[in-house]
Amino acid sequence: MRRIFAQVRKELIQILRDKRALGLALVLPMTQLILMGTAISLSVKDLTMAVQDFDNSPASRELLGAFHQSITFRTIPFAPDRQPEEAFVTNEARAVLVIPAHFGRDLARGRNTPVQVLVDASDSNTARLIEGYASQITAGFNAANANGAMAAPVTAAIRYWYNPGLSSKKFYGPGMFVLVISLFPPLLATLAMAREGEQQTILQVYVSSISAHEFLLGKIFAFMLIALCDVVLLLGLLFTYFGLSIAGDPTPFLVATILYTFCVAAFGTLIGAAIPNQAAAMQAVAMGGFLLVFMLSGLIFPIQNIPVQIRWMSNLVWGRYYIDIVRDFLLQGGGWPAEWWKVGIIGLIGGIFYLRAWLTMRRMQLAA
Amino acid sequence: MLKKIFPIFEFLTSHRFHAMLRKEFAQIRRDKRLAMSLVVPPILQLLLFSLVLNATVSDLKLGVIDESRTPESRDLASTLTESKSFQLAGYYYSVERLGDAISRGDVDAGVVIPKDLAKDLERGRPVTVQFLLNAMNANTASIAQGYALGVIRSWNQGLAAQGLHASFRQIGAPQVSRRGQAVMTRAFLFNPGLESTWFVVTGILGLLIILNGSIVASAAMVKEREAGTIEQLVMSPATTSEIIVAKMAPLFLLLILMVTGATAFIKLAFNVPFNGNLFVVFCGACLCTLSGIALGTVIATFSKSAQQAQLTSFFVNPLLTTASGAVTPAEAIPEWLQPLVRVNPIRHFSVIARSNMIKGTGFEALWLNFLVLGIFTVLLVTLSVWRFRKMLS
Repeated sequence: MRRIFAQVRKELIQILRDKRALGLALVLPMTQLILMGTAISLSVKDLTMAVQDFDNSPASRELLGAFHQSITFRTIPFAPDRQPEEAFVTNEARAVLVIPAHFGRDLARGRNTPVQVLVDASDSNTARLIEGYASQITAGFNAANANGAMAAPVTAAIRYWYNPGLSSKKFYGPGMFVLVISLFPPLLATLAMAREGEQQTILQVYVSSISAHEFLLGKIFAFMLIALCDVVLLLGLLFTYFGLSIAGDPTPFLVATILYTFCVAAFGTLIGAAIPNQAAAMQAVAMGGFLLVFMLSGLIFPIQNIPVQIRWMSNLVWGRYYIDIVRDFLLQGGGWPAEWWKVGIIGLIGGIFYLRAWLTMRRMQLAA
Repeated sequence: MLKKIFPIFEFLTSHRFHAMLRKEFAQIRRDKRLAMSLVVPPILQLLLFSLVLNATVSDLKLGVIDESRTPESRDLASTLTESKSFQLAGYYYSVERLGDAISRGDVDAGVVIPKDLAKDLERGRPVTVQFLLNAMNANTASIAQGYALGVIRSWNQGLAAQGLHASFRQIGAPQVSRRGQAVMTRAFLFNPGLESTWFVVTGILGLLIILNGSIVASAAMVKEREAGTIEQLVMSPATTSEIIVAKMAPLFLLLILMVTGATAFIKLAFNVPFNGNLFVVFCGACLCTLSGIALGTVIATFSKSAQQAQLTSFFVNPLLTTASGAVTPAEAIPEWLQPLVRVNPIRHFSVIARSNMIKGTGFEALWLNFLVLGIFTVLLVTLSVWRFRKMLS
């Protein structure tokens, strides 16, 4: 036990002395969370919409006003002698609204009149959003125009659970929190471990009386501590800057956080032990921590959208389970009944990483 | 004659420069890891990114509470679940159970059809159907909302067309004074099938160039320093500009080769249309590659080892990646980051590649992107040369 603590202390002293490592441990996680949590978003607003109004009647101006007032669109006039496609080719607008001549007259006569919305679909997700918003604005225009006489028989009342303001920050914040925790602590752990191999200080460890378990646990606990510091700092950001709050029973999150920090620290240590070259080990962790967690854990886009052939891979990614738990803790509040098995899997993966690292280290001597 | 007029020709044809160039090419040829890092990560990233980054919302799991249990309510429920947008996850008997299912993630959305649906329709009273959406993911929720409203709207039209509920129409104002409705028709141009990979793949090209370019360049630049051979370079009769240009040239060629390969790959694997003149993309790629190499050189001059250079790029690369609009729309990036977006080379190259490939945009509409990209490249190259000179002396 005492030897483990000595090992922890030694690691922490080493980090405190290295300015770049300290920045990596504490400053970078916070700036990354703010940066990625707010910059990565699919909820567009203020899209430019070019408008061709061939009617120029009170009714058409009213419809234009409805589009103009929405926060989604910023309308700009578009010369009537130009083809609407030109607006897309020159990147002037994301959508074009064409109101035909006699629009107002036809409406007054009780005839249904088409208005055309052309969408630049080179960004398909935004195109779909534009379509949805535009048809809602048109429906709103119709409802206001009908003086209540044409109320639809069935109307939908939509309630947004867990995120009533539809703030994408609240969705990506917790995800990026997991990404940051999956990237920086293991990066530091792997650097520390690979350095021992690279600078041959590992020999001193081999000849000392410390056992493989004590050595590994000492390293892992040190980086767990750093990861837990990060968790506290980042949670502070999530509660203030991202406006999140605790949604339900916090105990699954607490247990999962301890297991997850163990899991990522063990992952870093394992890579560092297996690849005794700092640059190469760092690349491996960046691939493992960043690519896998970023891509395959439902961080930005839903897991269901991954093609079936490679979707099974996401079941092996440790970050995936922790993301669910963090989102549950901060948004849904399902508690233990919803999350217990995910906590178990995180513990299991951490155990496997530790075992693998121990198998690499257990002989405590140079490979023959 | 030519040499007298343009000093650059004298520079490019000098023996010393050729010798330096030969040395660099020989060095790169022997570096297996560098060659690997130009082939494996780009292909892996292209494949993974384009397969995984897919924002399409379809087959949302819908839980139904049918309190009405009439032909009308069953018709509404089946209309909802027949569309590609929703699939039936099951019927529930209380809102609490449905809420549990939503919080467990078994169900993405719920619909509550009220008890009096059929009766109210018969009597011509408006009915409200409640939708519960798991709005954690704001994007999914806003698209799902659009789907739900669309299905309800078409169901309403169906009701009116069938004339099933004639009484309903009578409560409306008499036909004469009824005003017409604006009917929105929409057209998706340039990508009518809403293929989502096209957006991602064309954006990733720029990411690949800058990220891989800067990593490879910083590794190559720092190598000399790590091995301690940089003193010998300084002692040699070659001038600093000769050293720098000779160092950059093979990297530039390799990266351009990588871009060409990646472009062919996205054509073959993802069927991205090449509607424009690929020469435009090529020019953009050249500028972007230069700025990537220059970025790597600047990073290298601040670092003593490959590992330090890599650590520094951890500070720089995420910033450039997130503020690029390469895989997410640039309009969604918050206001305070927009200045960075405006100068970001990844951003400008992704606009060039995307507009040109998908929409066939030419130089005349992309000149601003080229201008900014060019200015940025020149600035970065100058900075890198200046830093490198300082390091050498």
